[in-house]
Amino acid sequence: MTEFLFFIEVVVAGLLAGTMYSLVALGFVLIYKASSTFNFAQGAMVFFAVLAFVGFMELGLPFFVAFIVTILLMGLVGYCTERMVLKPLMNQSEDTLLMATIGLGFVLEGLAQAAWGVEVRRLDLGIGDFPIQWIIDTFGLFVSALDLTAGLVAAFLIIGLSLLFKYTKMGLGLRAVADDPGAASSIGIPLNNIMLLVWTAAGVVALVAGMMWGARAGVQFALVDLALKALPVLIIGGFSSIPGAIIGGLIIGASEKVLEVYIGPYFGGAIEGWAPYVLAIFFLLYRPEGLFGEKIIRRV
Amino acid sequence: MNKVNNNSEDILKIENIEVMYDSVISALHDVSLSVPRGKIVALLGGNGAGKSTTLKAISTMLASERGKVTKGKITYDGTIISNQNPTEMVGLGMVQVLEGRRCFGHLTVEENIITGAYSRKLTNSEMKNELEKIYSYFNRLKDRRKSQAGFTSGGEQQMLAVARAMMAKPKMLLLDEPSMGLAPQLVAEIFKIVKELNTKEGVSILLAEQNTNIALRNSDYGYIIETGNVMLKGTAEELLDNDEVKELYLGISKEGRKNFRDVLREEGNSKEIKSLSKTTNS
Ligand SMILES: Nc1ncnc2c1ncn2[C@@H]1O[C@H](COP(=O)(O)OP(=O)(O)O)[C@@H](O)[C@H]1O
Ligand SMILES: [Mg+2]
Repeated sequence: MTEFLFFIEVVVAGLLAGTMYSLVALGFVLIYKASSTFNFAQGAMVFFAVLAFVGFMELGLPFFVAFIVTILLMGLVGYCTERMVLKPLMNQSEDTLLMATIGLGFVLEGLAQAAWGVEVRRLDLGIGDFPIQWIIDTFGLFVSALDLTAGLVAAFLIIGLSLLFKYTKMGLGLRAVADDPGAASSIGIPLNNIMLLVWTAAGVVALVAGMMWGARAGVQFALVDLALKALPVLIIGGFSSIPGAIIGGLIIGASEKVLEVYIGPYFGGAIEGWAPYVLAIFFLLYRPEGLFGEKIIRRV
Repeated sequence: MNKVNNNSEDILKIENIEVMYDSVISALHDVSLSVPRGKIVALLGGNGAGKSTTLKAISTMLASERGKVTKGKITYDGTIISNQNPTEMVGLGMVQVLEGRRCFGHLTVEENIITGAYSRKLTNSEMKNELEKIYSYFNRLKDRRKSQAGFTSGGEQQMLAVARAMMAKPKMLLLDEPSMGLAPQLVAEIFKIVKELNTKEGVSILLAEQNTNIALRNSDYGYIIETGNVMLKGTAEELLDNDEVKELYLGISKEGRKNFRDVLREEGNSKEIKSLSKTTNS
């Protein structure tokens, strides 16, 4: 019984960690849907956003104000990206755009370090990484408060964004642009506004993910690489599918924890880092379009 | 924006435009045409003649394909078209229905129609009324309103593309090959609706077509272009009645199909644009 409880604990911790991967993958999916390009700068955005947030806190801004100011800053980053990078390249090939996002990533990493320095910062969200007594008493499970908070925040954000896309005018515009930017433009949907929306949303997602990760391991450059965990998530879930990003994140989160705990010891531990990529390679071999990879629907 | 005479009889006037893609590929050499307010004008010609390019020059969609109007002038409803973007053009009441329908495949039929009103600020009840009005023209779409657009038939998608454009409340519609790939019966149905929209909603229409016969039967005027030049123009009746048009575009001939240029060259006036009527001559 305790064996089983322990297994559940591992899976729950994995799923909660996985919501963060879902969130970051969602940022990729948004930009991929709107501009058919893989945004290599997403990891840098996570780093930039949370470092900025910590920087604003250090200036003495209250938590909430710093949060809002950082979101505005990410909106500005989105705006500048749209104006200075995407718009001039609007009609270039997708490869060109891809290179541009790699460049953007370096710029953001450089800017962040220039503005706020290179040392690892501590971020205290006031939520400890210790088990919640109430859950221990009720279910006999050890679940970290920080993990649980991160999971809930991610779930809340994902649901919020999904509702936004489903029911608002801008959301409809975004889905139209994702399907056919040319046709969207022909009926007067302003592509630049939609891009701004998408990049700001991706910025918010980056900030939240950065805060949750930063609270656990410190705000540091390694966050950029952590964000790249979204890549296996996307391979599993499909690059253009929001449900795919969510489920892919949960699968990666749960499986890497389970593998780490049960198989890790045989490999000398620390397989968390590469297990997701192995999983992704299996998907590439046997189901390259991903779980939710969309079949192209077109009829003439 | 330069404002010129706003109440002129022509809602659209194109004067001697030249269009280049990528600054080197010349697609239009010298195209002039006008669309009188409230009329339907057909722009006819084979594949690669320059029909789509002409429409995109008007709607400013050219820029997104690295195309540019390098000579001449386009005046729409009193505004000279220069650096506007498609969003601005839609705001001015000019909407293009692109070649190949281009519906949003993952959106439902009704969501597709609603996207057409993106440029307008409508309350929920106004939106409802607009939808009802659109459905009164496009009955078929009402039955399919909840279907994913990507899974509807070609005819339904063409109707959807026109319905979507009409939601922007255009003064002028540019239709690019609405008959493409559709069975004759459907083509007839679509042209009937287009004609209805023209008379009841008063929308002026410029339509590009390869299907010369059906296009001219539903238009007031026609222009025939080939390799980026206007070869012939006139009222629809005149063109339908013209021997060269009959022979080359309507397939009413004993000889094989010839190139339009050859016929004109045989007559020794290949440089001249032939105008069949005094009325459309500007
Ligand atoms: N995006 C483009 N880039 C370069 N050349 C183009 C492009 N679009 C069209 N063309 C060229 O311009 C000419 C006219 O094409 P188009 O306007 O599409 O003709 P139509 O619509 O009458 O079939 C053709 O020679 C075509 O190859
Ligand atoms: Mg064409």
